[in-house]
Amino acid sequence: MTAALALKGIRKSFDGVVVLDDAEFSGNSGEVHALLGENGAGKSSLMNVAAGLYAPEAGGIFVDGKPVSLSGPSEARSNGIGMVHQHFKLVLPFTVAENILLANQRSHYRSGIKDIRAAIERQSADLGFHIDPDRRVNTLTVAEQQQVEIVKVLVGGAKILILDEPTAVLTDAESERLLETVRRLARTGTAVVLITHKLNEVKRYADSVTIMRRGKTVATLDPSTATAAELTQLTVGETQPLPARAQKASVGTRLNIGALTCMRADGSPAVRDASFFVRAGEIYGIAGVSGNGQAELGEALIGAREPDSGEIWVENLGDVAHGPGSSPRIAAVASIPADRYAFALAGGLSIADNFAVAAIRSRRYGSLGRLDRTAMARDTAAAVADYDVQGVRSTRQKAALLSGGNAQKLVIAREFSRSPSVVVAHSPSRGLDARACLAVHQRLLSARDRGAAVVLISEDLDEVLGLSDRIGVMTRGRIVAEFERPADRQAIGRAMVDHA
Amino acid sequence: MSQSSRSRFVLDVRQSLPGWKQSLFLAASLVVGLAISVAILWAAGIDPIELAGELAGVFNGDSLRGVLVQAAPLMLVGLAASLAFRIGFWNLGLEGQMVFGGIFAGGVSIYEIGPPETRIFLMAVAAAIGGAMWCLVAGLLKIRFRVNEIIATLLLNYVAVYFLFDLLYGAWQDAKTAFPQSTPFQPFERLHDLGDGVNAGLLVAIIVILAAGWLIHFSRVGFYMRFVNANPNMAKVLGVPVRAVTLWTVVISGACAGLAGFVNVASQEGRLTESYADGYVFSGVLIAFLSRNDPIIVAVVGFLIAVLFITGQTLQVFYQIPFTMVQLIEAIIVMSVASSEFFIRHRIRWIR
Repeated sequence: MTAALALKGIRKSFDGVVVLDDAEFSGNSGEVHALLGENGAGKSSLMNVAAGLYAPEAGGIFVDGKPVSLSGPSEARSNGIGMVHQHFKLVLPFTVAENILLANQRSHYRSGIKDIRAAIERQSADLGFHIDPDRRVNTLTVAEQQQVEIVKVLVGGAKILILDEPTAVLTDAESERLLETVRRLARTGTAVVLITHKLNEVKRYADSVTIMRRGKTVATLDPSTATAAELTQLTVGETQPLPARAQKASVGTRLNIGALTCMRADGSPAVRDASFFVRAGEIYGIAGVSGNGQAELGEALIGAREPDSGEIWVENLGDVAHGPGSSPRIAAVASIPADRYAFALAGGLSIADNFAVAAIRSRRYGSLGRLDRTAMARDTAAAVADYDVQGVRSTRQKAALLSGGNAQKLVIAREFSRSPSVVVAHSPSRGLDARACLAVHQRLLSARDRGAAVVLISEDLDEVLGLSDRIGVMTRGRIVAEFERPADRQAIGRAMVDHA
Repeated sequence: MSQSSRSRFVLDVRQSLPGWKQSLFLAASLVVGLAISVAILWAAGIDPIELAGELAGVFNGDSLRGVLVQAAPLMLVGLAASLAFRIGFWNLGLEGQMVFGGIFAGGVSIYEIGPPETRIFLMAVAAAIGGAMWCLVAGLLKIRFRVNEIIATLLLNYVAVYFLFDLLYGAWQDAKTAFPQSTPFQPFERLHDLGDGVNAGLLVAIIVILAAGWLIHFSRVGFYMRFVNANPNMAKVLGVPVRAVTLWTVVISGACAGLAGFVNVASQEGRLTESYADGYVFSGVLIAFLSRNDPIIVAVVGFLIAVLFITGQTLQVFYQIPFTMVQLIEAIIVMSVASSEFFIRHRIRWIR
């Protein structure tokens, strides 16, 4: 049988970072084919190639056995390939029918809308969705918006439907309903590609599964014949023995997080009763699939978000959960947030301003009435040299002009200039090249060796495994398991997905 | 891909533009704005050469004195706007704050608070407090209840103006004239000329401008204000007192507008009238915008707008041009400069 969609030898890189390397995929009509892998394994990138969003550097795309070249999403659509992205591509103030018309253009608006409305009703009836074509999209729930996306793709005549992490935004009941529908759809002859990192979805709904790791296709198999343990092992890879590390003489707790709870804007808990402690001279890694409360936990720890309950206890300071921005807290806790330009740098201001701001209240740079710009420039220049921040022609240049890695080095230079006793780093090497990444890791290790308590939150399991002395796994807002170094990669992988 | 082969305009975002080129765009847009203004005045029956004559005439004798008197409230109100805009607080309540500045100053005069020697200082302080208080209402609404300050400040203008009317048609009405205005201030309650035609009001404005310039450029407060504007979330994480800086800036902005009200009633009018704050919101925003919120440039632009005002008054008298023409020209200049911002940020290319 000829595969409905086949991708062969696909290669793709961004700025020299290879995200897909000789990746393969082959999915048949009439089946749900899961694409399984960790964050950053290349699942979405590979399917973005199939949807015409990324142009591959090497390799071929075959639809029903015929090679096609896709110069854009519209061409993919005309070849019957439709993708529902994780972040919906809908115009919120438009109605359902208008959104679908936008993706499936007709020559006249009035007759087009009529035509589309009929098509929506037909598709909805087939799928068992209840979509009112005249509702505005911003009045729909997330699950309903997803249905609109699916209908949009099917109205466009897609024979190959790619769903990127469709259940990430849904409740358990909604997920189940969606996956049932998707399976029914496959039975009518559509080839469905289900991108996921959830093992139970693969086991329950997929007819076959392709596993990716680090941009490569690792295996394609029948999920009913493989055990969950085998799938986990294929997903996370072989356990590499970690380098031995000098254990510090166990000292007291430096940071204690007690029953921390943070709510999202919609009132649902993002972090629930998360508890852990970090000793001085220790790196505590927090692993987990992204979107399980790590972002909110990180924001609470750096003081960007006030937790709804629970404590953040720091040695010599006490509970600082409700005193963000207090001088002692800033002096003690170094913050390296995931989103540099949200919580660590003001891109429109100078490098010197960005460096000096954290110490400005210490009177180091003049009194309230007088600003000592000379001292600011001098300290900044010294730190820039010390931390090897490249691309600084003048300390008066805007921080936004720095590349990602150098901006991160500037943040670290500022945060470490106070000799902090606690370091909170969230995805500190995200978006950095290998060299900058190594430099950042060395800084974290030297902070640990100096005796700081380091919290490392990262969705990159390798980063967590490589640096941490102890690892907590975060799932659905809780720390569900803890592992001592050297931690078992498979066990961590299982803890990450079992509770998902 | 038939679309891409068609020749068309393409809009790019510029990465950066050197300072001198930015100034060039700004100057060019000003020239365009002025040219349009001259064309409109020409259409209204004023020959450009006569216009040039009138403009030159503004710089001598009594007219210059008038310009300098007019410049003081404009500088203060422009400063009030620019300080608030610096932290992203869109204070459109400058008129209401001027009104309350005038009312507080007038209150000190009417109830004869303090000895005559210090009365004028008390009036100035009271005016600053009045303006600050009125601006703080909107500031607290914003911080406490997230009420949009654009709406709050703008609508509070009407409240202030009708409160003024209530006083002028009621308790504070001048019994002698029965016009809607207060009894005239005593001579020691007015801002006088300091010789050479320079009014004391201008001195007040310049002192406040210099103080604000120091605050913005040389103090830690100015440093904080930059961070509050650039990235309040990040500023909070790094210990910048965002709330305090916001509230104090709101207070200082209102105080400057209040002082503008005081300067207007104590130098030009000599009493509270119905209209001593009329039209100043627009002028204040214009000055702040043209000066890019820099206090020192506010002084220069304030002076130029005063020249425009006085020229407008002359044209009004001798050519029967309505005063709204002055506001029209202000608007044209704002739009020209705003469009220069677009060209500084973007580049338009013609493809094929």
